[in-house]
Amino acid sequence: MTPLPPEKPEEDRIRPHVYDGIQEFDKRLPNWWLYTLYLTIVFWVGYWAYFEWFRAGPTSAEEVGAELARIEAARLAVAQVDDPTLWQMSRNPAITAAGRAVYDANCAACHLASLRGKAESPVAIGPDLTDNVWVYGGRPVEVHALITKGVLAKGMPTWGPVLGPRKISEVTAFLLSRHREGDPIVLQPPSTP
Amino acid sequence: MSLTQDPPSPAPGGPGRAVPGRVAPPRPSRDSVTTIRPDGSRPYLHPAATQGRFTVARRVVALTLLVTYLALPWIQINGHPAVFLDVARLRFHLFGLTLAAQDLWLLFFVFTGVGFSLFFVTALFGRIWCGWACPQTVFLEHVYRPIERLIEGDAVARRALDAAPWSWRKFRRRALKQAIYVLLSAVFTHLFLAYFVSLPEVWAMVRHAPSEHWGAFVFMAGYTGLTYFIFSWFREQVCIVLCPYGRMQSVLTDEHTLAVGYDQGRGEPRGHGAGAGDCVDCGRCVQVCPTGIDIRQGLQLECVGCTACIDACDPVMAKLGRPRGLIRYDSLVGFGGGRTRWLRPRTGLYFVLLLAGAAVGTWALSTIRPASFGVTRMTGAPYLVDGGTVRNQFMVRVVNKRNAPARFRIELPGAPAGLRRTGLEEELEVAPLGEVVRPLVLQQERADYGGLFHLRVELRDAAGTFRLRREVEFLGPEVGTRQGEVRDGAR
Repeated sequence: MTPLPPEKPEEDRIRPHVYDGIQEFDKRLPNWWLYTLYLTIVFWVGYWAYFEWFRAGPTSAEEVGAELARIEAARLAVAQVDDPTLWQMSRNPAITAAGRAVYDANCAACHLASLRGKAESPVAIGPDLTDNVWVYGGRPVEVHALITKGVLAKGMPTWGPVLGPRKISEVTAFLLSRHREGDPIVLQPPSTP
Repeated sequence: MSLTQDPPSPAPGGPGRAVPGRVAPPRPSRDSVTTIRPDGSRPYLHPAATQGRFTVARRVVALTLLVTYLALPWIQINGHPAVFLDVARLRFHLFGLTLAAQDLWLLFFVFTGVGFSLFFVTALFGRIWCGWACPQTVFLEHVYRPIERLIEGDAVARRALDAAPWSWRKFRRRALKQAIYVLLSAVFTHLFLAYFVSLPEVWAMVRHAPSEHWGAFVFMAGYTGLTYFIFSWFREQVCIVLCPYGRMQSVLTDEHTLAVGYDQGRGEPRGHGAGAGDCVDCGRCVQVCPTGIDIRQGLQLECVGCTACIDACDPVMAKLGRPRGLIRYDSLVGFGGGRTRWLRPRTGLYFVLLLAGAAVGTWALSTIRPASFGVTRMTGAPYLVDGGTVRNQFMVRVVNKRNAPARFRIELPGAPAGLRRTGLEEELEVAPLGEVVRPLVLQQERADYGGLFHLRVELRDAAGTFRLRREVEFLGPEVGTRQGEVRDGAR
């Protein structure tokens, strides 16, 4: 199509720039378009008043901070374990049942479903967890810490990031339910293969 | 609602011909957008109705699409609606296929596929999508505008009603129209929501107080308002100003692309009598245009290819005893008297890209399984030597992507004899959408270990419908360094 000349050239303002021979008229923006701009200005006033002037609500950063603090508090609540608490948990059937499920899923592969490990079968990988002989300490918090950190040299995995503190407390409680508070703890240093 | 205040067109015999008692429609110009006045205000267009073969064909297509849009959430395939993008559970049901959040990378192929299809179709047929299939056009031209026509009358009557002072009669018609618009927008919005939260849930929310689900209520109210605003007032401004696809046209089309256009060579000069072309300048094509342009001024940004002007012009040509098609689908080359070429580097390239994308996308879709499966070595030593055995420890991760519990078996096909395995001996049950991580410990007698070997680990669906395979390496001490006694995997 051959371009037609502007119909009313004297009325049309043309902007000074030229790109690839193309020029553009200087027309008014649609009013509705301008209203969207005015609306953002109105919104800005309310927004500024809410967050900066009256500080009526928490900012996004404060909300994130509060949520992180809540998560950390919840995590610490289960991470801070002591011997009496773990013994008490070991007498709670609901907790030991949950611990049994965690044990079956994760621990039985090496320590066997009976918990007796090498004491039951010579080809089992993990040691017996039902006797009074402990390699790395037999106090509840020591058992808890061992499960969390693992023993890399012996192949005991680091369960902390896999199970999380709650499940580790549960499985510790389950192990303790096979023991009695006050049982002797016989320490036996790690054997060499 | 803006009232028509256009000055009567000075062009005698032009499309805006001033008739006493009639309000003239806005007069199109090539130098400005008809629907934006010089003062920035918006004239409200009242295109006249058309009749003809394209109008009928477009109505059939539109009604089919409307029924499809509205029916999809109701049709059940494999226990889920045909299209159900379950955002709350992150499960996406598409015609019997269920995709999980893990499969979202497939969206890449969906988007590129839609993109290249549009490129290809656009290069061949121009804005055929806009005029025939776009929901904006379908809802505007086949639902909202017919209602307006029914209540307020034809284009002339509607323009007169716009210009008339407020009266009981005007108020009644306007209130009825707007009430129906609001109601329809609410219905459409609820059905649209059913694509994302399922019909029973939408129905449950509708029957309960808004206070029980403020988020959904505010969303629905806002979306209903937006739909109402777009179809009652904003209309063609979407296509002219907002739509990104419309803006891409100029780089997707060329002189061989089909477009709705006016045959200048045949039509000009306009008028009657000897020496005049076929165009009698009756202005019908301008009166019916939903974006307010004059198609005789050439290919224009505003044209959505709706074909209304074709159906407006053809009967005029028939009455004059001239062949139809003064306004028709043709390419710029075709209007210039040349032959439209369909096979061009552009269409070939778009087609090849479309095919490549579709092939890869189809293959990718075929790899989607209702579970995902991973085998990773446990942290710590890569292997352990314990007594007389070499031990490798792995963590197996199984994710059930289905909405139902699933049972799996882990097997080691082709494992060497004597490889002892503990963990995951029994069937593994994974809850709906659940994830399970379990240890898998493999041991081999030190005497049997002959160096690193590869081992296949397979996840088998207990129902036998599919299997997933991973390969791991079984590591151990270097063979031949027996007396050096590599201990505990420390090399």
